[in-house]
Amino acid sequence: MRATAADRAASSANAYLICAVAWAVPGGGHLWQGRIQKGLVFLVTLPLMFVCGLWLEGRLFPFELTQPLVALAAFADIGMGVPYFIAKAMGAGTGRVIAATYEYGNSFLIVAGLLNMLVVLDAFDIAQGRK
Amino acid sequence: MTSHVGLMVLFALFVSIVFATLMRDEPRDQLRLGARLFAGFVGGGILAGWLLYPLPL
Repeated sequence: MRATAADRAASSANAYLICAVAWAVPGGGHLWQGRIQKGLVFLVTLPLMFVCGLWLEGRLFPFELTQPLVALAAFADIGMGVPYFIAKAMGAGTGRVIAATYEYGNSFLIVAGLLNMLVVLDAFDIAQGRK
Repeated sequence: MTSHVGLMVLFALFVSIVFATLMRDEPRDQLRLGARLFAGFVGGGILAGWLLYPLPL
């Protein structure tokens, strides 16, 4: 039976909803779609990497469009989803520039956000039936 | 743990786990790819460190 336009629209809306969940909760999109093992790995690994970045006194960068590199770092940071907002609400991620581990912390925070964006794309592909 | 090498190894571990989990479906394949990625990241990092040692000239 052919999928109607309404079915396709519903499926597409569902895929975007899965993406939103996958972004908000690392691994949430995979868990929703029954990829339990992958979802649990992402759910543990990505927040742990993010917490390591905070522990290493990295900074959660603000959106400053006058400084493009800072804005890009902020965009990567926010890729982490809910843990980013929890950290912000707790006052974490202020960054201590003189700390020896400051740049390492930034790398951990930025890469954790970027990896979560890759995980979101993977969840989208699964939702579209490509994987 | 917060030495340069220790943090590089920790970073490589996280990235290897996520990439291997993304790119392979079977746990056995994930483990194999993750180990190769981890070895490549750590080995590449140490090699790059040695190559950059003379800089700045």
